[in-house]
Amino acid sequence: MKVTIALKGTLKKLFEGDTERVFEVPDNCTCDEALQAAGINYKETRNFGFVSVNNKRVMIDSRLSDGDYLKAFSRVSGG
Amino acid sequence: MTMLGYQNKVLRINLTDKTTSTEPLRMDFAEKFVGSKGLVIRYMYEDLEPGIDPLGPDNKLYLTTGPLTGTPVPCSGKLSIAAKSPATGTMNDCSVGGHVGIRLKYAGYDMVVFEGKLDEPGYVVIDNDEISFHSAADLWGMGSHAAEKKLADQYGLEYSVLSIGPAGENLNIMSCINCDYYRQAGRGGIGAVMGSKNMKAILVRGTGSVKVHDIEKTTDRIIEILRNDVVNDDNQFIFDDGTTAFLEACNDGGILPFKNFSDTTDEKWTEYNGEVLSKYREGKRGCGSCGLGCGNFLKIGDAICEGPEYETISVAGPNAGNRDPEKIVKFNEVCDDMGLDTISAGDTIIWAMEMTERGDHDFGIRFGEADKMIEYVKLMARNEGVGADLALGTKKAAEKFGGLDIAMQVKGLEYPQYEPRGSWGMALSYAVSDRGACHMRSYAANAEVFEASIDPYTAEGKGQLVYDLGEFNAIKFSLCICDFWGTIDYAIMSELLTMVTGKEWTEEDMSRVGRNVINIARAFNQREGFNRTHDTVPKRVVRDALSNGPAAGQVMTQEDFESMLDQYYEVLGWNKDGTMPEELIQSLL
Repeated sequence: MKVTIALKGTLKKLFEGDTERVFEVPDNCTCDEALQAAGINYKETRNFGFVSVNNKRVMIDSRLSDGDYLKAFSRVSGG
Repeated sequence: MTMLGYQNKVLRINLTDKTTSTEPLRMDFAEKFVGSKGLVIRYMYEDLEPGIDPLGPDNKLYLTTGPLTGTPVPCSGKLSIAAKSPATGTMNDCSVGGHVGIRLKYAGYDMVVFEGKLDEPGYVVIDNDEISFHSAADLWGMGSHAAEKKLADQYGLEYSVLSIGPAGENLNIMSCINCDYYRQAGRGGIGAVMGSKNMKAILVRGTGSVKVHDIEKTTDRIIEILRNDVVNDDNQFIFDDGTTAFLEACNDGGILPFKNFSDTTDEKWTEYNGEVLSKYREGKRGCGSCGLGCGNFLKIGDAICEGPEYETISVAGPNAGNRDPEKIVKFNEVCDDMGLDTISAGDTIIWAMEMTERGDHDFGIRFGEADKMIEYVKLMARNEGVGADLALGTKKAAEKFGGLDIAMQVKGLEYPQYEPRGSWGMALSYAVSDRGACHMRSYAANAEVFEASIDPYTAEGKGQLVYDLGEFNAIKFSLCICDFWGTIDYAIMSELLTMVTGKEWTEEDMSRVGRNVINIARAFNQREGFNRTHDTVPKRVVRDALSNGPAAGQVMTQEDFESMLDQYYEVLGWNKDGTMPEELIQSLL
């Protein structure tokens, strides 16, 4: 299946200027697995924050469907 | 023992008889509470008789620095301004940026205490060790921006100016103190305390220095820290976008409030997001000693402000049913100039919007009426017309007109812009915060929503989470470190404090001081009569499920909330009724 991955905040640099990219990923894969397909290991990305699917925050192990729009946010702090 | 980093001097200014005195800093207080936030709460506990009128001459206004202020330590240039709050009756310490903190330290003081009351409107100039009193007859009634400009033109740029607007003069319990035009000590009606003392402004010039234990080692290490821990990817967002970066995260995270917290998320958030606002950016600015530079000057049409920060975007945007960025910026500008806290003033107006739409009471304003919202700010600041009713704030206005169930406040301080049904820990953070609903005391949303693996929709573990985050911020703010240095940790804090003071501080000490600070604030409030019955959540939060966003359908019950309170009290060793055991209080004194 295909999903679009968008990187936000300071994660943007990992796509070297692209705001988003489309990836072919295994059916029913998790957000974590889709990000790994895009070359991003969230546990090893120091400023990694959270993910949302179709503009709604989900847990990193949530499963994706064909056509989903996955955003990965960098950490923020302060208020 | 005497520690370096401190000036070892407290200046007391008696406004009633226009006299001054100095005394050594209480080093026994500094060893337990370090500086800034913690230190000033300990002084307030010592100085202020329980039950005093926050707007009477017995209340005192404190300006407090920390041991790192004025040293090369990055992001350490802020100032704590504190007093008993007229909004809540609790202690209230506010943090303000700009350059005034450093100048106060260079003037030779760790702390300045204003006591009594001027007999006529005036302002005070602290010029190193020369203190002078002046008439403010020609400034009283002016907006804060115009007053500061007039003083800056008269005295020059070596002076920092703290000033109040008409709201502070009129003792509005949502009034703030402005600094460097666009920085605010914002919450709890701190501006009204200054106004109650007839003080329009405070000017500070300092030309001295701060002694550091090991300046060579400190300087070398600070260069490394700046490179590796401050100006890095983790903190870069605050320079690039400021807090506008929070908008998308909060929207997707399901904690962006909509129409007085009746729901969350806005499908059209891109109409006023950081990308839109950055097109109008005209400049950048940071505080003294800052390595980050969060300040963004914007000009849209005739509206200008530094910001707007996320809180203001939310309260004057989706939470008010408005999507016009120019109106958001104008709301920000007018609040700053009138000297009103954007969060509390905004929350009070959006409460009035819902009250009108719900048919409970006609305040003459509905969601989406952004121009009227801006006009209402001026009316509130001047106590005119409907503004006099709204100047009560949500709690007291709801007690008068009804609608307490949708008054988003704790202890009389209005909710910041993080919807707690999407971040249950925030409901607890707001409830137990030492000055009423404040997000800066324990920023649970950061862990619950802005991290990939924590469940926001459960009470389990939230007592410990809120405590841990609160302990961290309590020591961080007692060191007077800016909140936006997000990657600082106990190791760096203790290392910096050791290098500057010459006394050995450990990571365990940082934890101990953080706990002390939470406890001394609670002890102050307990002495004022606060207990579990005041650690509340607005009815709406535990009654109505959200319809939109990732938290749609999630229900936090009153039992869930009470469970989080139980957990939190247990972590701190407090009693079930939220009071502290007497021996715990005695251990702090």
